[in-house]
Parts: sequence; C-alpha cells; structure tokens
Amino acid sequence: MAKRILVVDDDPDLVEAISMILKSKHYEVIVAYGGVEGLEKTKTEKPDLIVLDVMMPDKDGYTVCKELKADPVLCEIPVLLLTAVVSHISTTRFSHQMGMETEADDYMDKPVEPVELAKRVEALFSRQ
Amino acid sequence: MTDQIKIMVIDDEQIMRDGCARILSEHGWSVLPAENGSVGLAKLQESPKEIDIILLDLMMPGMSGMEVLEKVQALDDTLLVIIITGYATVASAVEAMKKGAYDFIAKPFTPDQLRIVIKRALERRRLQREAEFLRSERERSLRDVATEKSRVKTIINCMGDGILVCDRDSCIVLVNPAAGRMLEIPESRLLGNFVSQSNFPLELSKTIEESQKAGDSAYTSISQELIIGKAQEMFLRAHTAPVRNDLSEIMGTVTVLQDISYLKELDKMKSEFIAMVAHELRAPIATVEQQLTVILGGMAGELTEKQEQLIARAKERTKGVLILIKDLLDLSKIEAGKMVQYKEPLSLAEVIPRAVEMMKSDAIEKNIHIVFVPPPRISLIQADRDSMEGIFTNLISNAVKYTPAGGRVTITLNDHDGFVKISVADTGIGIKSEDIPHIFDKFYRVKSIETRQIVGTGLGLTIVKSIVEAHLGTISLESTEGKGTTFTVLLPKIADMTSCRENI
Repeated sequence: MAKRILVVDDDPDLVEAISMILKSKHYEVIVAYGGVEGLEKTKTEKPDLIVLDVMMPDKDGYTVCKELKADPVLCEIPVLLLTAVVSHISTTRFSHQMGMETEADDYMDKPVEPVELAKRVEALFSRQ
Repeated sequence: MTDQIKIMVIDDEQIMRDGCARILSEHGWSVLPAENGSVGLAKLQESPKEIDIILLDLMMPGMSGMEVLEKVQALDDTLLVIIITGYATVASAVEAMKKGAYDFIAKPFTPDQLRIVIKRALERRRLQREAEFLRSERERSLRDVATEKSRVKTIINCMGDGILVCDRDSCIVLVNPAAGRMLEIPESRLLGNFVSQSNFPLELSKTIEESQKAGDSAYTSISQELIIGKAQEMFLRAHTAPVRNDLSEIMGTVTVLQDISYLKELDKMKSEFIAMVAHELRAPIATVEQQLTVILGGMAGELTEKQEQLIARAKERTKGVLILIKDLLDLSKIEAGKMVQYKEPLSLAEVIPRAVEMMKSDAIEKNIHIVFVPPPRISLIQADRDSMEGIFTNLISNAVKYTPAGGRVTITLNDHDGFVKISVADTGIGIKSEDIPHIFDKFYRVKSIETRQIVGTGLGLTIVKSIVEAHLGTISLESTEGKGTTFTVLLPKIADMTSCRENI
C-alpha cells in the first residue's frame, strides 16, 4: 500500500506543487492549509510522514512540530520541515539551533528539487 | 617707540644746551632742549615714551635738579637720567644716582666724554627695550592661552555630543551640558564628583575604571551602548579612552557620548522593512520556482523542447532573485551587528575543511584541485563559527568559479605576528587592476567575456569584507590577469584581542 504523506503549508500553490512531486513518486498525498488544520489532519488521518512549512500565520511549523513530538502516539510520525531560508551564511546555525529545538527529523529549504525531496522522504521511511 | 633717539637736555645755561645739542646731533640723535625743570617736565608729559635719555643739570634756579629727577622718576622710571654736575658737587651726583639716576658726567666735559656716557646709556636703553619686548611677547602668549582656553570651553559646551573627562582617581574634572543632559544627571552633580558616586550607568563607570588600568603600550578605546531613562528610553553610544602624558602614563580618561536613539529607530525601521521584503518577496518567488520545478520535472505533462528550454531559463532567473534576497538579508544582518553575535574561541583548522567540503562537488565538476594542508598548530581566534564558514565558502567558491577547468585552488593557514593569516589562491582569470579598488563594493561585478556566464549578485565579497571587519580583521588581494588571484585575510589572535575591544 502506498505511504500517505501530509503536506502542510499556508500557500495553496506551494501545497499543490509539492503534492504533484510526491504523487509523481507514487505517494498518496493529503493536504492542510495551516498549522491548526495540519494538527487536526494528523490526528484524524494518521499520515506516514508530514512535510511541514515553518512560516504559517495561524500556528508556525515549530509549534506544530513540538506539539506532535510531545504526543505519545503521533511522535512516531517523521516530520520534514520546509524552511524559508533564513540566511545564506547561517544555514548551518539554523539547522543546528532550530533542528535541535524542534526535533524535526529533517529539513529542506524552499524551493525543493524534486529528486532531492524524494531522496529525503525515502530516507526517512527507510529509517523506520 | 621710534628708531630716532631723542635726548632731552635740561640746563639753565644756554651754552650748555647749545653745546650738547651740537655734539649729540652730529651722531644723528635728536636733541630737545629745556631751560628749566618745569619746561622739561611739561615737554616730557606732552610726548611720553618718546624721550630716551635726559641730561639733567643739578644746579638750577627754581626747581632743583634733584626735584626734577624725582618727578621724572614718578612719570616713567625706565627713563635714563644722566646728571650733569660740577666737580665740587660730585657728592650730590652720587646721591642723585642713589635716587635712580643712571649716570653722571662732571663739568666741564669734552665732547668725547659726553659721547661715551650717552652711548653707554643708549646700550642700556636698547637692553631695556629688548627686555620689555620679550615681556610683552610673553604676556601676549599667556593671554592667548587664556583666550584659547575659554574658546575651547565654549566649543565643548556647545557640542551636541557629551564630553566627560576624568582624572586618575576617576573624579570628573570636565563635563559639558550635553553629557549631563544625556546621562540625565545635572551638570553640577557631575563636576568634581567621583564616577562611582555620580549615579552613573554601572557599565560606564566600570569601563572608565578599566580604562584607567589599560596596558602601557596598547591603544585602547572601548565603545559601548547604554540605555538611559525608564519611561522614554534613550540609546547612547559611549567611547572611552585613556588620556596619556608624553611618558605614556595614564592621566585619566575621556568619554564621548553620542545620542544614537534616532539611529536605533532607523535601524528598527530598516529591520522591519527587510523582514517585510523577505516575507512578501521571497515567499511568492520561492513558490513560483517550486511550480517551475514541477513543470520542468514533467509532472504537469510532457514539455516540448522549446517549453523546457524557456522554463529552465525562467527557473534560473528566479534562483538569481532568491540568492539576491538571501545576500541582502545577510548583509543587513551583518550591518546591524546581528550576524557575529556568537563569538567563541575558534580554530580555523577546523572551519576551513568544512568550507572545502562544501565546495568539493563544484570543484570536481570543473576538475579543479583544492589544496589545503592544515598546519600542525594554529592560534585560536575569537569568531562566529557560521560567519567564518561563510567567508571561506565564499572565497573558495569564487576561486572555483573564476578558475578555468583543470586549475588549482590553494588555501594556506598560518600564524602571522598577532594575527592568523589565511590565503586563498587560485590559478584563475585574475582581476584587472582597474577593477581591484571596486571589488568589495556592493553589487560590483567584473564584466568581461570570461565572466559573462558566471552567476552572482555582486554582494559576496561585500559580505566577506563586512564579516572580516566585524571580527576586527582585514582582507586584501593580489591579482595578475590571466595568472590568478590571491585573497589574504588577517584575523586577530585571541591573546591580542584584549587590547582592542568592541562592546557593541
């Protein structure tokens, strides 16, 4: 059975683009257009992986991630954070600080290269 | 005072007056005769300071010579009075000299005797004038010093920046109204008080006391930011430096205070603007690029060759804009001092290999060999790790970009006096000498056939330079067209940082 991936971003165009990439790799995709909706869908749909945007107006990605990781059931779901790059120079600092803080399983800068995204997603699944 | 020597002859005898006048005028000295004391004194009062010497007969009817001498002395005690006296009355001549006459000549005298006496008096007169000239010069310069002092005081008092001078015991010896206003302490409560007892911001009094203990040779200037006031905050920048005498001993400190509240306000506005640009501009462009990658990946249907070509080019353009936005964000952060906040003791021997690693794939693609041999021992520097990684990634990436396939990029690292020296040398196309002065300018890019295909924002080296400077270092380059370029970075070792601090 195909793995189900939840894509969460407040930008519908981006959600669509990411979904198309994942679908082309034969994943099943469900979508949410904000942090709150993302949490809801995670609880109801129990996806196998979440692609989560950081900057969202209602609830940002860090908060969503923290809440998920605090949940004894949902904490098992791998989270791939989509970051709007903070800086050219300090990507390592960003990954270091934010990655540790949020306990996200991986992170990628937007926009993502389809091949790279597929690779990372696969890696997260194989880790389980 | 005129150059013409004027001699007054006071004698009741016509013959004496005429005789003296004749002898003296032969020398070009002018003679002013007076037939008695009152006439002589009257003439003296008419033109004071014009007479150099008075020849005075002691024995005159009416006012005696002695009386005239006293009155002349009262008028001007620098006047040289020569007494004319008979042999019989030498004793009174001596008495006259006790009273201040300069010399005497006994009657009858020869013209030579008179000339000798007068010449001696004139020599004395010359010395007198010279002494007086020197005295007036000195007075004038003292007066100048006094005027200068009050002028400097006026300037200091009118200055918009606050000035605060402390002596060796950290007692405030000079303060201007601006300083009082900025620190919100009345001037009267500052002057003559000790810094520790003046309700000073704690950080500032600490800095002043530290400056008093600065090392003997190093030039030390500490700048710091202070926040004053509770209700309406005011931001001050304080620069404190020790004041030294010619033996280089510390005599006290001087502190200059600047109100930078408006700068802070501007800075805040700038940050807000940049945050807005980042969000409002970056996000949609990132989405557009994401959509283009999907189309390009064939996930939205098959593309014709032409469509693919156009979309690929469009994607390159959005990529360029995103890089530009990132660079602008970096630069504004560095300029706001936010980029290098996390300084720690750092070994570049650990940082550089990471930067080399990051550039490896680009280098392999172009068959460029990156050479870096870490030295066995290298001094630590006080630096921000990510910024350091950033500058070396940038320099190595440039070297790779501007070096033709098959070339070589050599990185060397070693101690160099008080600095750690890093150079990145390539065997690339080099930089024209006319481009070198602009190479660190914002948005400056070398335009030539060789560089046309190379993508860049023209901000990379500006960022590198800003970071190096934020670490109190320097960057320089040497380049030969067609041969290659070497960038050299000097960063102060930790031990040498203590003498040059920035607390901003």
